[in-house]
Amino acid sequence: MNTSAPLPMAPPEAATTSARSARTSLPGRILFALANSRELMLLALIVILAGGMTIVYPKNFPTTYNISAVLLNAAQNGILVAGMMLLMIAGSFDLSVGSTLALAGVWAGVVVGWWGWPAPLGLLAALIVGGIAGAVNGAIVTRLGINALIATLATMTIYRGLTYLTAGTGVTPISDNYAAYGETVVLGIQTPFWVMLAIVVIGGWAIAKTRFFRQYYFIGGNARAAKLSGIRVERLTLIGFTIMGLLAGLAGALAASRLNSAVVSAGIGVELSVITATVLGGASLKGGEGTILGGVLGVWFIALVQNAMIITGIGVFWQPIVVGVVLLLAVSLDRYKQAHRG
Amino acid sequence: MLPRLELRDISKVFPGVKALERVSLDVLPGEVHALLGENGAGKSTLGKIIAGVYARDEGSVTLDGVPLGDIDEVEAGRLGVGIVHQEGSLVRTLSIADNIFAGRQPTRSLGRVDVEAMVARSRALLEQLGVDIDPKAKVATLSSAQAQVVEIAKALSQDLRLLILDEPTAALTLTESERLFEAVRRLKTNGVSIVYVSHRLAEIFTVCDRVSVLKDGRLSGTRQVAATSTDELIRLMVGRDIVFSRQPGEKASGPPILEVEKLSAEPFVHDVSFAVRAGEIVCLAGLVGSGRSEACEAIFGARPRSGGEVRLRGAPVRFRDPSQAIAAGVGMAPEDRKEAGLFLTMDVASNISVSVMDRVSEAGRISSAKSEALARRFVEELHIVTPSVRAPVGNLSGGNQQKVMLAKWLALDPLALIVDEPTRGVDVGARAEIYRILRGLAARGVALLVVSSDLPEVLTLADRIVVMADGRSVGELAGLIADEEAVLRLATLRAEVSAALDRSSRERVA
Repeated sequence: MNTSAPLPMAPPEAATTSARSARTSLPGRILFALANSRELMLLALIVILAGGMTIVYPKNFPTTYNISAVLLNAAQNGILVAGMMLLMIAGSFDLSVGSTLALAGVWAGVVVGWWGWPAPLGLLAALIVGGIAGAVNGAIVTRLGINALIATLATMTIYRGLTYLTAGTGVTPISDNYAAYGETVVLGIQTPFWVMLAIVVIGGWAIAKTRFFRQYYFIGGNARAAKLSGIRVERLTLIGFTIMGLLAGLAGALAASRLNSAVVSAGIGVELSVITATVLGGASLKGGEGTILGGVLGVWFIALVQNAMIITGIGVFWQPIVVGVVLLLAVSLDRYKQAHRG
Repeated sequence: MLPRLELRDISKVFPGVKALERVSLDVLPGEVHALLGENGAGKSTLGKIIAGVYARDEGSVTLDGVPLGDIDEVEAGRLGVGIVHQEGSLVRTLSIADNIFAGRQPTRSLGRVDVEAMVARSRALLEQLGVDIDPKAKVATLSSAQAQVVEIAKALSQDLRLLILDEPTAALTLTESERLFEAVRRLKTNGVSIVYVSHRLAEIFTVCDRVSVLKDGRLSGTRQVAATSTDELIRLMVGRDIVFSRQPGEKASGPPILEVEKLSAEPFVHDVSFAVRAGEIVCLAGLVGSGRSEACEAIFGARPRSGGEVRLRGAPVRFRDPSQAIAAGVGMAPEDRKEAGLFLTMDVASNISVSVMDRVSEAGRISSAKSEALARRFVEELHIVTPSVRAPVGNLSGGNQQKVMLAKWLALDPLALIVDEPTRGVDVGARAEIYRILRGLAARGVALLVVSSDLPEVLTLADRIVVMADGRSVGELAGLIADEEAVLRLATLRAEVSAALDRSSRERVA
């Protein structure tokens, strides 16, 4: 959406002139494009990191096993980031996704594992529970007018509590039929990855192109102006939260099926890593900005950093530090760009 | 008698506006001196300069014979000059006593707040103003009048010689205002001088001794209240050259499009009635805070309606959301384009097509080509200056932003369009173009309702003028024969008074 911005690394006083010369030289033009598109920047970071790992650890990193493991592990957050990005674009967010995920997974387990119902009904139960949880969040935010932070902070603990109430310590095993949803391997990668890919591709297209989802950018850009322009802000916000809940329910169903076990502690802390991915991917807390592609690249980048920390032996504890530093750098770059918009 | 306050040749320039030009006046001890003027005449600015809120550019201020340098509000307080702001400066979640002594709480050892002393002194101050409220109560529990009195108590807590009241009755009912006047009279008998900033004529005759009238930043005269009249004051307030020629177009004779009957949206709008015909420009005139914007919002579905009826082409409509109004062909360009009208970070094309997204889509998919084509059409038609239709609206000048907002509603092809303050923050050139656009719309048969606080603008644009005061429609004037005095007379008097005047002016119109 930015039309022009100076070269990011140039000192402020030289910003305009160097921006002009930057656009004429090839490396300048590349840097300029990277600074202007968070997606390109993340892609470049991913390519550099993966390329470096391939050169230094040719035996461990670029293997089918490792790559498919990274992609599979990122599938859950990839599904969630699609919904979270939609909410962030509208200037909102949902802290209860981890709890919703667990609650939905546990209900799939109860329906199939305890009641002995067929596996598809387990999946359906998870989607219904997730959708209701999301709609409740949306109703609290839009009808009661409680802001999203407080509302979903409250439902985060409520949904977690409901999860414990429903299934105590969880449901194990669920059923082999149900486990097949998450364990079937297609082209070397398990189904959750393909589900994520489908959601991200369709969702990414819809948010970028359709009239319906374009309205979310207006809501995030200026909610009052959106309302006065005839956009049904409350209704769309409610729908956004419901979509988020459905996706969390789907992620919960898949997580339970991968392990053939509905775990009550599933998804703890996942909300912040998903929000981190959206911000890395170009969303702003004020709303009005962001793409699904950016969010997914954010998820993959975080997963890749984690993988690299393990393979290099640096230690997985460094992963959150690296992610935090990259997040700060990416956002500072934006601040800088805004302050020196040409 | 040595004047309490002497102002000599005070001038003040804000970027682009000469707010005050060589204003001189004096205030005597124990005098209530009114500063009267239209919106933007400079009276609040002058009040704020006296209180040290703004620094003057030129001129001198003398307090009890002592010349003052450049002082800030805190220092002015120490010298015994206090101001009660129009906007209010109270923290609603804290107690009255805390608010009165904000930042200056009496303390005991170790910096502990001496709550007892603070409460006792607050109680004494409130009693002095003739009100009986518990100083320990939270400000949030008070009525607007009580809050206003607390504001005054706050100013008085520092032993004042001179108190500036800036539109003190703006948020008050008539009975609440009476209380305030009593408090003012009591202060006066204690020898406090008061500068009373207001645009309400009736109040000036009730409570003031002398009145200085400002017009476009200049002093147009000082009068003894006992020796002047409403007519004279209004003449002093207006009487400038009208910059834009009046070009009433073809006389509107179309059918009524938008009819409003006894519309109420409590607590701001009461029993407002008027009608706008196809091709007609009706201006809602009145002072800031008279309920004009609120009435428009209630028509448009952006504010809940508490009573009355709105008819569109004769059929009753009740919009519960702006989307319903827009679907029915009614648009509204709000007063505050940055807060409520535009998406500043988004581009020109998106801003223009936001309310007609179905027209720039194919099978639910937004077509960039169509949205850009639509935007280019309006950029050309309305002479919008922008590097491209993909440039963020936030980068455009005020006038061009305003045109983008109008383009958005033109794209809708509305039956009726409400435009709130069409030229606020817009330069003279763009202003003329906006008038041209609005007249063009009317010529195409659109019913236009324009809210404006700028009287020359009202007189330039309006086929008919509906004047609002205190949330009521108090009179209607034909655009051709209206003048600033007639409009102001309706707008400045209290509703009760103006109801009577209204009848006589109707007779005159007829």
